[in-house]
Amino acid sequence: MTREEIIAEINSIFVEQFELDPAELTAEKKIFDDLGLDSLDIVDLMIGLQRKFGIPLRQNEEIRKIVTLGDVYEFFVKLAKERPEFAANLKK
Amino acid sequence: MKRESSDGNRIALVIGGCRGIGRAISQRLAEDGFDIAATARQAGPDSEELARQVAAAGRKFTLLAFDVRDREAVRRELERVFGDGGAPEVAVYNAGIARDNLMAFMSPREWDEVIETNVNGFYNTIQPLVFGMLAKKRGRIVAVSSASGQTGQAGQVNYSASKAALIGAVKALAREVGRKGVLVNAVAPGFIHTEMTREIPEERVLPLIPLNRAGEAAEVAGAVSFLCGPDSSYIHGQVIAVNGGLVI
Repeated sequence: MTREEIIAEINSIFVEQFELDPAELTAEKKIFDDLGLDSLDIVDLMIGLQRKFGIPLRQNEEIRKIVTLGDVYEFFVKLAKERPEFAANLKK
Repeated sequence: MKRESSDGNRIALVIGGCRGIGRAISQRLAEDGFDIAATARQAGPDSEELARQVAAAGRKFTLLAFDVRDREAVRRELERVFGDGGAPEVAVYNAGIARDNLMAFMSPREWDEVIETNVNGFYNTIQPLVFGMLAKKRGRIVAVSSASGQTGQAGQVNYSASKAALIGAVKALAREVGRKGVLVNAVAPGFIHTEMTREIPEERVLPLIPLNRAGEAAEVAGAVSFLCGPDSSYIHGQVIAVNGGLVI
């Protein structure tokens, strides 16, 4: 799965979970300040990402460092490189 | 993320659910239609008797054996029963011990055991379940506090502190998770007939209780049942006292 495909999957979660306009979804947007999520919404985001990508994220410390939508993209692009089983999930 | 048992029934986890008030809560929630997952430090006559009672109510029983102070054992057992990141529909935190002494004579051990069990145990058992309840946007958490935590009780500085801590935790957690459909409340029993209160001279306590009698564990279980059922759907962050008027 390519970087573009990963980004498309993540964007689809933001559209589904938070009813955001796809045009708003650019890498530099801050997910709290710009996209209007609050700290509890992160739970829904993680659930959506877990379901989509089939990997548990609850205990992942890295996820707390996410500030922008671009950080979310990079988090999963990196994960796809590091973990072949994750890449396999993406192909399903 | 399992929340329902294999045949689709709702599950109530009762922490400290095999003896005393916890046993009555487990029994009552089974009668209400929940499958019961109850915890105890170890399997024994108490858990076996409860298993029979839950079966008699036509519900499934699962024992989780751990000391609530043992964070790793708790995590392992919760994961075994509910899956990673899973949660039951209802979680009741009832595990609690008393080590009464006047503060002037209270040993570090008496202080630590009570705080570690009554307060840290709440974190150890409830925290792993919160994510799963938020994910489901549904859940009930009930902590069993005490009249001692509401008013303070001489000879119980440790116990009163621990039970007041649960009230603070419940109120703060209620503010955090209410928006996601998870309801959090406490009950605060007064003088209830259990093993824990057996040594307390009843004739000295009764004059303080307007109803002029000790309570029964089933009467506390009734309040917990209410907080876990459909009729309490707009009750959140509250402390329901079950004390015969001991604290008004």
